[in-house]
Amino acid sequence: MSALGENKEKLHPLVAKYLRRERMPHMACPGCGIGQVVHATLLAIDDLGLTPKDTVWVQGVGCSSRITYSTWIGDNIDAHHGRIFAVATGLKMARPDMNFILFTGDGDCGAIGGNHFIHACRRNLDVTAILFNNGIYGMTGGQVAPTSPLGATTTTTPYGNIEDPFDMCQMAIAAGASYVARWRSTDVKSIANSIKKGIQTKGLAFIEVLLQCPTNFGRYVLKTSNPQEVIKWIKEHTVTQQKAKELSPPELVGKYVIGEFIHRPERTGIVARYQEFLKKYMKE
Amino acid sequence: MASGVKPGRYFVQGDEAIAEGAIAAGCRFFAGYPITPSSETSEAMARRLPEVGGICLQMEDELASIHAVGAASVGGLKAMTISSGPGISLKLEGLGWGIKNEIPYVVVDVQRAGPSNGVATRVGQGDFYTVRYGSAGGNSALIALSPKSTQEAFDLTIECFNLAEIFRCPVFLLTDETVGHTRELLVIPEESELKIVPRRKPTVPPEEFLMYPLDNPTVINYPFPNIGEGYGICVSPYTHTSKGYASTAQEIQEKMAKRLVLKVTANLDKLVRVERQKMEDAEFAVIAYGGNARPAMAAVEMAREKGLKVGFFRPIIVWPFPDEEVLKVAEKVKKILVCELNIDGQLSREVARAAKGQAEVYHLGSGGVEPHLPAQIFNEIRRLYS
Repeated sequence: MSALGENKEKLHPLVAKYLRRERMPHMACPGCGIGQVVHATLLAIDDLGLTPKDTVWVQGVGCSSRITYSTWIGDNIDAHHGRIFAVATGLKMARPDMNFILFTGDGDCGAIGGNHFIHACRRNLDVTAILFNNGIYGMTGGQVAPTSPLGATTTTTPYGNIEDPFDMCQMAIAAGASYVARWRSTDVKSIANSIKKGIQTKGLAFIEVLLQCPTNFGRYVLKTSNPQEVIKWIKEHTVTQQKAKELSPPELVGKYVIGEFIHRPERTGIVARYQEFLKKYMKE
Repeated sequence: MASGVKPGRYFVQGDEAIAEGAIAAGCRFFAGYPITPSSETSEAMARRLPEVGGICLQMEDELASIHAVGAASVGGLKAMTISSGPGISLKLEGLGWGIKNEIPYVVVDVQRAGPSNGVATRVGQGDFYTVRYGSAGGNSALIALSPKSTQEAFDLTIECFNLAEIFRCPVFLLTDETVGHTRELLVIPEESELKIVPRRKPTVPPEEFLMYPLDNPTVINYPFPNIGEGYGICVSPYTHTSKGYASTAQEIQEKMAKRLVLKVTANLDKLVRVERQKMEDAEFAVIAYGGNARPAMAAVEMAREKGLKVGFFRPIIVWPFPDEEVLKVAEKVKKILVCELNIDGQLSREVARAAKGQAEVYHLGSGGVEPHLPAQIFNEIRRLYS
């Protein structure tokens, strides 16, 4: 178990450069997609030359957050469940010069923190939020999520989910985020590119990643604990934006559209506006 | 950043005095959500903070505002939020994050008649235990100061900010609608006369610094490095090691719980603030706090005019409760009358506990809306005195 932490030679160079060795091995279950998203994040950080002095990792509560918390060699600020966007607002307004990369989950961002998410998008807060969407509550053991597919059997929907899943990218676009994209955990380069764009774009960048949770989504929804089967299911249920244009609305039911949905770098937000505002009203 | 202190004599509401006190204390971040009877503070902060380069936000709810405040403090700004009644119920969720991570900031509760929405525009004193015990999970101590006037609203707000930095924790200003909406004289002194405690910074390099002094639980004036200062701070909702790493070990939980309690309870000598009047020869004591202290003081005057040996005692710090000072009162008098604006008996319960049976403790309660009248309290003194 501890070989990874004890032998630097076996560490991936990005892990050795940016993550705390004492926090390795991480907590993710075997086959979990979170490692792929962290990998993509580190690729983006490395490409942009970000450092622990100028970049903070911010988390909420859930697998997305518990697993990434205190791994970054810089500052790690982990919020209460659902409050990640509220915490990010305080952090970014206090330190507009720093980059904030948020790791949130579908329960954290879409359920308990839904209101904060909407208003952070409305304010177009200049942070980069990565949504780890595994379609289920993983940390608490397989309960239905606002992103679970219609009909999904989970520990709290033993007879099947009767609610439609939440398209949080559409929510982010409608509420005003500058940049919105959705990828699968297997699209590592696309995720990394989106994170880079997100960090470089003023305003809120929201990047949703559909990722495999063999432990809970696999077990309860798909009746398999094989990560490859879950990845295959995600692939079968995703369509590109291009392909989606050719499909009728009934054909799109139950499908996840992937791609870059919106990029409006000209759209300003609360951080830049407050700085302008201070220039005007600050007296002393 | 500019000090923002505006020395002078003002005729203002208690709520406005809180805003001036906050700015004088160095508060440069405020986030709130409108709620009566606290909105005057939010409005004053919205006017004043931009003038001094500070940030004032109206958030989407109470949860967002207290979490933004905690985070802004982690970001390096002294910060404050305010609410009342049902808004305080929501704030308590975020308070736990502040307590556990030892984040300095100030929360103001302008109490109104409850429960639930109650009477939004009128006074009550029902949050005495709410602020102390409302944050779930126990294993914490809490500091709360309560002003009786506009002047004290200003002075104690500064005290709250100072104590938040000294003890590295959220501190409550537990005020009420009477104080909040009473318009009276406020004297703001010269900046040089104000004692302001700055954020303390580590003097050791990052590799030697421990964010949470779990092995030295009673230490105060402990530094708080902010984000971006190279200390790689770790803040989370989880039980933490000295470095801030999440832990499920019983030993760590025990150490953290002790730290959160002992840093306050082992330093009570630096916290006790009480007011006594006419207690030297008193055989009967009246105890009240906040805005309701003023009719209580008037009733004591009325009793003295009638030749009754009645004294007045007021906890200015309501949490930690000044047990020893109350015990001294109980040892001196035969009876204590506690006047407060709730029917269930909150302050009176605490007084009875601290009195340890040394005096009989009586509760004069009211559901709120109106403060007690001096005559009401005087009549109760006269009834009980014999």
